[in-house]
Amino acid sequence: MRSIRLFFFVIAFAGLQSSCKKDYVYEVDDVTVSQPGGSKDNVKTTTEFISIVYSDLFNTIIPTDTLLYVQQAYEAFGDKKLIEDRIVRHFLNSTSVQIPSDATMRANVPLFVDETIQKFFNRKPDAFENYFISNIISNATTITPMMVYYACMTSNEYRYY
Amino acid sequence: MRRREFIKKAGLATAGAFAIPYILPSGRLFAASGIRKVNHVVFCMFAGGVRNMESVDKALGNLMPHMLLGNESISTDIAAALAASPLPNLNLGYNLQTKGTIFKEFRYKSGPTGHFNGHTTAITGAYTTADLNIKDHPHTPTIFEFYRKHNSPAQTARKCWWVSNALGPYPALNFSSYAGYGAQFGANFIAPTYMFSNQGYNSIGTLKTFTSAEEASVNNMRTFMNHNFNKSFVDGDAGVTNIEADAAELQTWINSMFSQYQGGAFNNPWGAGSSMNNDMMNIFFAEKIIDQFAPELMVVNMQDVDVAHFNFTDYAVNLHKADFAVAHLWNKIQSTPGMMNDTVMIIAPEHGRNLTGNSSIDQNGRAALDHTAALDELSGDQMAREIFCQVLGPSNIVQQGQVISGTAGESIDVAAAIANLLGFDTQVPSGLLRDFNATGIQQAFL
Repeated sequence: MRSIRLFFFVIAFAGLQSSCKKDYVYEVDDVTVSQPGGSKDNVKTTTEFISIVYSDLFNTIIPTDTLLYVQQAYEAFGDKKLIEDRIVRHFLNSTSVQIPSDATMRANVPLFVDETIQKFFNRKPDAFENYFISNIISNATTITPMMVYYACMTSNEYRYY
Repeated sequence: MRRREFIKKAGLATAGAFAIPYILPSGRLFAASGIRKVNHVVFCMFAGGVRNMESVDKALGNLMPHMLLGNESISTDIAAALAASPLPNLNLGYNLQTKGTIFKEFRYKSGPTGHFNGHTTAITGAYTTADLNIKDHPHTPTIFEFYRKHNSPAQTARKCWWVSNALGPYPALNFSSYAGYGAQFGANFIAPTYMFSNQGYNSIGTLKTFTSAEEASVNNMRTFMNHNFNKSFVDGDAGVTNIEADAAELQTWINSMFSQYQGGAFNNPWGAGSSMNNDMMNIFFAEKIIDQFAPELMVVNMQDVDVAHFNFTDYAVNLHKADFAVAHLWNKIQSTPGMMNDTVMIIAPEHGRNLTGNSSIDQNGRAALDHTAALDELSGDQMAREIFCQVLGPSNIVQQGQVISGTAGESIDVAAAIANLLGFDTQVPSGLLRDFNATGIQQAFL
């Protein structure tokens, strides 16, 4: 008998609670979530890729004969990812390459990441990207600006515009 | 054991032997469905357009003394040209004709007699009945894709190579645009004479190196960036993609090749001096691939005879050099552990040349030759469809010393033969390749 009374009390209390409940409306606009670089649909042509790699690393336009020879080497091998890796590393091996110093990078890592993503991907990094990459750089003193450049230039996004 | 029990067990054992995969003497495991005749096939495209008259019919004498038996004397003017471009003695101790079968009247039956059409036909096993766009991949699957898709067990591109003497449209022949096939089943392509050159060295020869710890950090960042981007640069646009371990081996091999190039190892590799032409260099590099990768399927071409458009005498000289290169390649195969006595090599031009010369007359008063048999199979010079084919291989697989003089075999038979030799022809969907048993080329095999 006592348990039945308790049961009805709980039901009545729950009903009271629900009848007193207020519906809140939070006035927040809809937000479309997108991936960084998500609007890039076009693969760079071979000529565009080689020219852009060169100008990104040497801050000047690629000479015509250099473009011709690199393009020929590019066409001479079927695995394009492998050959693109070689092209980037070949250019990185040049003494004329224009890359910020380690001191410059470490003086303001988030700024370096911001400028590097802007340079290679033609967009600002989002907050998480900047945080993640900055964290990797800050946590390892062995990471050089050249390594960050190399990672960017051999990433999938760099192959698109 | 009771008689009934014995019979039952013996029956089960026999059934099991047929049902389970087995190991051949080579140590290789095969699915029971794919019975291989050999474990390696090399298809050497004696391309550039070769007329039977100067090759197997020996109208100028035997210009191909390594591939063809016979001491027919060479025309004086051509002999003088050969003497001016001497080749070393290979000392093979045998003639290639004794090591297999030669078809003297093979045919490129259909389609225009263009170099790219001829290559495409040979590599796909299907005639190209439409004009081809330069740099467009073949519209039907290549023999490389058949091999990588249907061979059991599946192999990576490391075992499958297309070695071309030229760029232009030829890099596109390592895979097709056919649905269900494509880059993921393609061959490794290389044009080695372009890659291992001064320009190649100055473009991709010296690399910035990173320690393994540095590589790991770069990979970490790159992986993050790739996860953040919703597209990947693979398959099709990226060509053939090698698996990580194979890619690492390829990088090491390419580095080693550039080191050898810089060290002068490629300056006069066969002792032929200035006689070494582009065809011979391409075969030399194909041999380097054999050394490193022992491909199960390799297609390599030569095209220097195409100088025939402008100079007939140079055509004859390059025919002679191509014969030397083929013999050198066969000798390499027969001295390579794992490939010797376990390789079939098929040699065939992509198409022939015209009966009637053009207006270019060379220093010996000989007219140059084009190749003009057209798509409609009526117009143009139909002699350009007449070619030869030589099949070399172990005596228990290939008929030795056989000469087939009548019209037999055609260009599209080669791909069907390769599929049969490597044991996957029955796995290829009907209609994509000729039925091997209906081909002319099957006469070469026991």
